[in-house]
Amino acid sequence: MTGLILRRCISAVPLIFLVSVFAFALIRLVPGDPVDVLLGASEKDLSPEQVAALRHEMGLDQPPVKQYLAWLAGFWGEGELGRSYRDGRPVLAVIGERLPATVALVGTSLVLAGTLGIAFGLAMAWAATGRTVSYWSPILRMAALFLYSAPGFWLASIAIFCVGRWLPWLPISGLNDPGQAPTLASVAQHVLLPASILSLRRAAKLALFIRAMVLEEMSRDYVLIALAKGLSWSAVLARHILRNSLLPVVALLGLSLPALLGGSVLIETVFAWPGMGRLAVEAAFGRNYPLLLTLVVVYGAMVVVSTLIADLLYSLVDPRLRETQAISGLSGSPAASGMAS
Amino acid sequence: MSMSSATITGITLLAALAAMALLAPWLVPPGSPIHPASIDLSACNCPVGTPGHILGTDHLGRDIFGQAVWGARASLAVGLMAAAVAVSVGSLWGSFSALSGGLVDMIMMRIVDGLLSIPSIVLLLALQALVSTPALAGVLPAPVLEALAVTNYSFGLLPLVTVVLVVSATTWLEAARLAHAQVLAVKQQEYVLAARALGVGASGMLMRHLLPNARVVIVVEAALLVSDAVLMESGLSFLGLGLGPGIPSWGGMLASAQTALIQGNWWAAVVPGLFITATVLAVNLIGEGSLARTPRRKDSVKDVSAMSF
Repeated sequence: MTGLILRRCISAVPLIFLVSVFAFALIRLVPGDPVDVLLGASEKDLSPEQVAALRHEMGLDQPPVKQYLAWLAGFWGEGELGRSYRDGRPVLAVIGERLPATVALVGTSLVLAGTLGIAFGLAMAWAATGRTVSYWSPILRMAALFLYSAPGFWLASIAIFCVGRWLPWLPISGLNDPGQAPTLASVAQHVLLPASILSLRRAAKLALFIRAMVLEEMSRDYVLIALAKGLSWSAVLARHILRNSLLPVVALLGLSLPALLGGSVLIETVFAWPGMGRLAVEAAFGRNYPLLLTLVVVYGAMVVVSTLIADLLYSLVDPRLRETQAISGLSGSPAASGMAS
Repeated sequence: MSMSSATITGITLLAALAAMALLAPWLVPPGSPIHPASIDLSACNCPVGTPGHILGTDHLGRDIFGQAVWGARASLAVGLMAAAVAVSVGSLWGSFSALSGGLVDMIMMRIVDGLLSIPSIVLLLALQALVSTPALAGVLPAPVLEALAVTNYSFGLLPLVTVVLVVSATTWLEAARLAHAQVLAVKQQEYVLAARALGVGASGMLMRHLLPNARVVIVVEAALLVSDAVLMESGLSFLGLGLGPGIPSWGGMLASAQTALIQGNWWAAVVPGLFITATVLAVNLIGEGSLARTPRRKDSVKDVSAMSF
């Protein structure tokens, strides 16, 4: 087991490295160079010597590899590229302030997505087995498909409207009541709405997946045998089918983490949640390249690490996977599948 | 090939939306009171069902049906163009990588893996901030700018180009992975070996044998990418980083509906969201019907559950 953890961790390192190379390459793709961006229209007021001096100060006259290394070092605020254009503070410090809010939001949604998804999925599977009135199955399935297809930020603005009108006591924006010291109870109250909206798409996906898994398992021979030896339908469902279907569900739930991370960006913006996603949007608006590109690296690293954790948890649950390739194999995170997830 | 009812529903829904987009100039001709450009402050926030405004108006008195019809044009155009670019680039990248094998394959696919581990919205934000419309307007040659109707006071269709570029730069990765897996799967099959024995070169192999064989998967993948692109465009426009107010789109409608919502006008927000959802739902139905088709056994679910009585 230790060997497995070690191997997976080592395979994650090159990916994070790659992400940082991409982010660096993106800086270099800026039309002109960072000096032009930093100075903007005021560049024509400076003499060429002054511009060259600034370029030298920022290390832009160095070869790209040296610049890349300087940029990595600049994460800790040494070089100009490690500082936010907005206030000149080290980007990692700015991001560090926003990290806990994002972790709280994504963590809460993961729990909600798991609970809602499994409950909804079991209800759908039960309806699909033909034990209830026949119209429930298509209705539930369409509801899940609808929630899976609807953009999260749209559901969020509708939810804000409805909550504002009918549940005025439920907070609809921010992390805390303005002017108050944040307490756990108040933050918990504030996280409720954004986290539920964020979890809906994943919960719907999970539910659809559980339904498909249960239906798939039902057509297997062991179900036939269990029924033939006289077990009741509910016993077969609970003791055989569910036990076999829920394992991949654990995997899917773990892999929800990267998707939730991606989905949180827009949700944070709609709900004025002071997390990294909102910071990224602000940085994109302000063309704050150092901050934006460091956020790219931080998000990439978080996705790689959370995929790694999901992988390891899954092989912990399913002993068959300990020796062989894991389900996701780290290559290709599901984060890219739809931004509104 | 028989189609499932889900696929048929999806195709019908998508065809209806596409027809709406294509017929926009006839359904809502420019100059009519329901055209998105006509602002009527004396008729703002009209509810759904108002005579002359079937789906009501927004906070500026613009007809929501008219905006949605023209929005379909922009949103679906971005979706289709971005998906076309993404599928072409991605399929070529993925299949070339799989055919090459060895170190080239490893490097090419690791690049895809690395980019895939950045959440697409974050990558989208970074790219959109980098490929800014004004900067692009400064770089492009004059004839291109003229073709895109860029003038001193308007960027014309340029935001459309930027958004398509940025969205396809984010979505080609999935297509590349899929094509890679597809080509790897068929690479060892006998007809490929036979073709190689007959002396077919790499490009001939790709164009004449591998890609045509994977076309069903590629078409379904393209449909999925259209819905991804529609979602991304709406997200960008919602943030105000997308097509901008000059080109009406569903995402742009949602963005401006934020003001309408404060005034209690919920239908201005519900309608464009429903159109986006319908597009994505249609594509999901098609995808589910064709991709998730597993060989079903004769003794299907119904038979088994019937036996337990």
